[in-house]
Amino acid sequence: MKNNYKPTLVVRFSLCIIVFFTVTIHPIAQVTNKLVSGTVTDIDNNPLPGVNVLIKNKNRGTTTQLNGSWELLATSQDTLVFSFLGFKPVNKIVGNKITINLQLLEDATALDQVVLNAGYYKVSNKEKTGSITSVTAKEIENQPVTNPLAALQGRMTGVNIQQTSGLPGSGFNVQIRGKNSITAGTDPLYIIDGVPFNPQSLSAPDVSGNLIPSSDLSPFSFLNPTDIESIEVLKDADATAIYGSRGANGVVLITTKNSSGEKIRFTLSAQSGLGGVANTQKLLNTTQYLEMRRQAFSNDGMTEYPPNAYDINGTWDQNRYTDWQKILLGGTAYNQRYNATVSGGNKNTSFFLSGGYQNETTVFPGDNFYKRANGLAKLNHNAADDNFKVSLSTAYSIENNKLPGGDLSFQALTLPPNAPQLYKEDGSLNWEEGTFNNPLGVLEGEYKTKRNSLLVNAQMEYTLLKGLLIKANAGYQYSSLSEYHTYPNTQFNPFFGLDSSSSAIYTNEGARSSWIAEPQITYRFKSGEHALQVLAGFSAQQESNTRFAQYASGFASNALIRNTGAASFLQVTQDDETIYKYEAVFGRVNYSYGKRYLLNITARRDGSSRFGNNDRFANFGALGMAWIFSEEQALKDKLPFLSYGKIRTSYGTTGNDQIGDYKYLDTYSTNGIAYNGTIGLSPTALYNPNFGWEVNRKAEAALELGFFKNRILTTVNYYNNRSSNQLVEVPLPGTTGFTGVLANLDALIENTGWEFELNSTNIKAENWRWSTSFNLTLPENKLLEFPNLENSTYANSYVIGEPITIQKVLRHTGVDPESGTHQFEDFNGDGQISIPEDSQAQVDTAPTFYGGLGNTLSYGNFEIDAFFQFSKQKALNNKVFGTTPGVLGNQPVDVLDAWQEPGDITNTQAFTSGSNPERSLAYFYLSQSDAAYSDASYIRLKNVALSYTIKKVIKGAGNAKVFIQGQNLVTWTPYKGQDPEQTQGFLPPLRWVQLGLSLTF
Amino acid sequence: MKLNIIHRNEQVLAGHKIVGNGVLFILLLLLTGCEKDLEPGLPSSQLIGEAIFDDTATVDAALTSIYSGLRDNSTVEGTPSGATVLMGLYADELDYYRADAQTDAAFFNHTVLPSNGAVDGFWNNNYALIYQSNAILEGLEEGGLTMEEKGPFMGEAYFLRAYLHFYLSQLYGEIPYIVSTDYTQNSSPSRMPLPEIYELIEQDLLQAKELLAVSDASGEHIRATKGAASALLARCYLYTQQWEKAKTESTAVIEGGVYVWQPELDQVFLRESPSIIWQLKPEFEGAATKAGEIFVFENGPPPLYALTDLFISNFESGDLRKGIWTRAISDGTDTWYHAFKYKQNTALGSSSEYSVLFRLAEVYLIRAETLVRLGNIEAAKNDINKIRQRAGLDGTKANSVDALLEELVLQRKYELFTEQGHRWFDLKRLQLANEILGPVKPNWNPTDVLLPLPQQELILNPSLQPQNPGY
Repeated sequence: MKNNYKPTLVVRFSLCIIVFFTVTIHPIAQVTNKLVSGTVTDIDNNPLPGVNVLIKNKNRGTTTQLNGSWELLATSQDTLVFSFLGFKPVNKIVGNKITINLQLLEDATALDQVVLNAGYYKVSNKEKTGSITSVTAKEIENQPVTNPLAALQGRMTGVNIQQTSGLPGSGFNVQIRGKNSITAGTDPLYIIDGVPFNPQSLSAPDVSGNLIPSSDLSPFSFLNPTDIESIEVLKDADATAIYGSRGANGVVLITTKNSSGEKIRFTLSAQSGLGGVANTQKLLNTTQYLEMRRQAFSNDGMTEYPPNAYDINGTWDQNRYTDWQKILLGGTAYNQRYNATVSGGNKNTSFFLSGGYQNETTVFPGDNFYKRANGLAKLNHNAADDNFKVSLSTAYSIENNKLPGGDLSFQALTLPPNAPQLYKEDGSLNWEEGTFNNPLGVLEGEYKTKRNSLLVNAQMEYTLLKGLLIKANAGYQYSSLSEYHTYPNTQFNPFFGLDSSSSAIYTNEGARSSWIAEPQITYRFKSGEHALQVLAGFSAQQESNTRFAQYASGFASNALIRNTGAASFLQVTQDDETIYKYEAVFGRVNYSYGKRYLLNITARRDGSSRFGNNDRFANFGALGMAWIFSEEQALKDKLPFLSYGKIRTSYGTTGNDQIGDYKYLDTYSTNGIAYNGTIGLSPTALYNPNFGWEVNRKAEAALELGFFKNRILTTVNYYNNRSSNQLVEVPLPGTTGFTGVLANLDALIENTGWEFELNSTNIKAENWRWSTSFNLTLPENKLLEFPNLENSTYANSYVIGEPITIQKVLRHTGVDPESGTHQFEDFNGDGQISIPEDSQAQVDTAPTFYGGLGNTLSYGNFEIDAFFQFSKQKALNNKVFGTTPGVLGNQPVDVLDAWQEPGDITNTQAFTSGSNPERSLAYFYLSQSDAAYSDASYIRLKNVALSYTIKKVIKGAGNAKVFIQGQNLVTWTPYKGQDPEQTQGFLPPLRWVQLGLSLTF
Repeated sequence: MKLNIIHRNEQVLAGHKIVGNGVLFILLLLLTGCEKDLEPGLPSSQLIGEAIFDDTATVDAALTSIYSGLRDNSTVEGTPSGATVLMGLYADELDYYRADAQTDAAFFNHTVLPSNGAVDGFWNNNYALIYQSNAILEGLEEGGLTMEEKGPFMGEAYFLRAYLHFYLSQLYGEIPYIVSTDYTQNSSPSRMPLPEIYELIEQDLLQAKELLAVSDASGEHIRATKGAASALLARCYLYTQQWEKAKTESTAVIEGGVYVWQPELDQVFLRESPSIIWQLKPEFEGAATKAGEIFVFENGPPPLYALTDLFISNFESGDLRKGIWTRAISDGTDTWYHAFKYKQNTALGSSSEYSVLFRLAEVYLIRAETLVRLGNIEAAKNDINKIRQRAGLDGTKANSVDALLEELVLQRKYELFTEQGHRWFDLKRLQLANEILGPVKPNWNPTDVLLPLPQQELILNPSLQPQNPGY
């Protein structure tokens, strides 16, 4: 709002008179204006352009030029205030000086100046009343990741993120402040540059399901992480209630970069890296393996090996040994990334352009790649009188992903070590006379996907009156994905006698487009100690999803497999368009008194097409309050070391509409399957017209403290979220004809937790700088109420008073020393073990705590950044990963302590070839018992970034930076299995080491 | 309550005499005005349920989806998750050769667990199709079709519901008989005693027989007809030892004039064979049957399954079915046999065979068995010899009730092998499983006569407890 005040003629005239009189009455005083000039630089003597140089108490000033220089008419009594975002302001009295050169010191802990994006409004870290955490460009850039979500892992309290696979393009599970819902989606709401972004993958399960866990081909990878300025996560009611029905699981706001000043600035960067599977499992070697098999048959009383026991009946070479993990997973993945940006502008207009290209291969054999080309263009313009602002942003990307026909991780861990060689001498796949299902068969098939994504956003702002602004935000998003997966007959054992008439292809074309329009009005009012901000807005949104999927089989030749028109059988498995409409009004009132007492009220009324006419609208709202007690004079005097102190609290409601479209209608869908030429129609789902909105009540209290001029900053948060009337897909027994129905569940779930953050600047010397950041989350989940739980379909899944993340399992009591078979506790005492009756032990797989610890150390031009991520949790272990020990299939070395003879005390039962029903059953029970879960806690050296900056390499102004970065470098864990973060059966997250160079000039 | 917050907003605003108050009001008005805009219409691939039942074409499409479900993912299909394969492995028909142990290995080894995917599959797929049958019956009740138009559709739905429950009760024993689409009822049904289940099957089939047409529109017997209802009734009466009724129903099929005996063994399974009462048409013209795809192999060792040595060696000498309905494959040292009732094993220009669910030979065997039980030895021998003659065998020498029953077990074994698990259901029904499978299946346990209920089902519906014995 600065400079809005335009003195009228009368005022100007009066001012002249006052000046005149001042001059004439005090003729001795030095009042003449003189030209004062100087240069502003940073601590490394780089010129700082765009620094505000203002004369204190006079509404006049200038900004520094590209070379940091400035000049100004001022009097000797004037005090000049030099201020620049991110630097400590400096006051200088002009006195008799005519040249004032100075250095500005960076001020990372200037709380007032850390401005957080809260979506519809911005708020300084100091004055926020809600729970908002952010990750900045620097933390993102230090990590060699493709997907922006990957950069958040371990960096924020209350935000738990897991990577589902190490294949490029795969997705992430994101959970903010625990599991709020028994079965419904727990995805937060994502907003990129003001445009809501649907995190659902457009991929189809029958095309990519065997490669990408849950077919989650993450839509986020369209965005180049280096184009991101900041990612903010809104957690409590105060911050999320303005998003109403979609705020229950938190809100993630992604903001892309903008021009940083008037100077034309180029950055170029190139980097390249190597990736691989970090951990291998110790498996049986051939001798151990065959011994296990022999024992298994002898334990089962079988003297003759069955015809299909090829590994041991003499069909396969018993002296072969292959480390299948090395062959199938031991490859190296490569990546290259290139990025270029140019930005600049003038006082009124600025631009930012960025282009990037990257490619990445996989660890699997074969020629696989992920390629992405992306561009981002931003334009900002302020009218000369600052009354009108407009900004435009466009992001576009093309991604090509070619992956092998299957994930080989399962085979790598379970193939017998004496399985035959993969290739014959002539280079063709070896099927060992039909006895060996060659794991590389799947590589004959291929999976390929192409995705184009566009995100456009325009924002306009017009000042009607002083403090009264009207704004409009409009956005459009389009994404199309086209994928196919081929299954040529050559990928199967030739002894099936298949030819290309059995070859098949699955294809899928998905597209999503959405638009949003949000007119808003804001008003700011300030009078003395009172400050008021009011916001009201309207939001309309529409999203349409289309999908066209086909299955084709039977080709005259495999060369035609891509051409569905050449297939003898072609089926359209899906051809659909769905529409989602959404409207809302929202508002915010923020009042502060003396910059000490803050009150924030937000509200939203939502309407969604996902609900029937009777339940279409719902209201949400929240109240947040804060008291910055460090601003109280009394405290300032008594506790001088306390530089900042705030208590804040909030309470409010939010909702969740992640239920899918058209669920309130009773409909029939075509299934694409023909019978005698007619395509069938079948009921889409169980019909329940009576579902309504769910309600999520969030309460939070926090204490934020800063010590020693904010060298140490801490935050302690406590939250309590209760969700009720949950709208979930209630699982149903098969007798209903379906697996579930959408309904409201009368269950009350509570998520509580403590969150701790600590940021400290340990050393801040001229050349040295060392800072530490630490975060820790202690979450707790509890099922408080569930009327009629005993008679519901959840009776055997949940326990009142316990977390909803528990599994009810058998209790393993060890291996019977006499029989050599696993034993379990017979809870109901009926003399036999049965599921679910005896599944009364509980295992909780949610983390008991998690967090991260980062240290940044810089010395001169060197900087090193190391980040550790940790989690205390339990997970399914390798005991239940493959087959029953003794059956064809390799096992972890842990099975070597198997029971041999009566009297043996051990935890591994006697081997069985699969034909001992008691032991097969006992092994199945083991997989359903507490022994299948074990400690999967870990401390991971998630990221190390080392860089060296060479200054003034080009035209005396540019910087060059050489860097080396590593991701997932070392993991310390007692976990029995490949990786504690792994989705079982899929590739674990890879370890990457990256080398790069960037130029800025 | 939340509206209070908006009201409070307004008060704050009013206090400062700002246009915001009015703006909010206008916005709220705007929103209420836009209520109609939130109507999303219908997705392009869906139809409103009510609309289905006013039009014979859409009702027909709804029924079609049950037939394709039967063919593609139900118990009676020929894939590795259907009863033909799994119950063949479970009984003494098939040997297991797959190198990597799959869910089907547990059937061969008699180590089936409640978590077995096929145990889930039989259950869930059949009940899903039962739901569709019930939805059609309920929809037709409400819909606008005349009784004349909807009668045959109802007949098909009744028939299919009975057929699906029949297999469920054979596999799992006491099961719930589901007759509505109401999930509040169907989510906690209890198990029903077998006599009650049979009674309901009978009721459904009698209604179906009343309503169904003699022949379907295609003339290929690919939809349920009166004859199919009678054949299933006859089978159920046989299973429940209601001999007179079984005799009446089987005679009705045999002498009804609709189906004609096929004297040539190699033409029994051809799609145009006049002795076929009900068959399922493959998805597209030219496709092979699932059983053809799965059983036929060209090189040894067999990639999946082969007929057991015992089965092959016990063929009566001279039985032409060995040469025509099975085929030997040798690698020089070993020889394996695969079922070869369906010759086409890959897609061709046209389909020579459909998947047969009911054929005249079974009805003759049903009638023969009831005649033996009723003491009508000569008539029974006539029916048995009908089967024997076609197989190139002389008339049976058995004369006593016991000898004839034994001969019937044998003829059923060799006539109906690898067809929807007939062999297993016979062993179970005649209480021969212990005696015959005990010696050949090392893990045989008398409680194996029933499959376990799916574990997930027991967890979700405690009123199904307890689990079947032995699991």
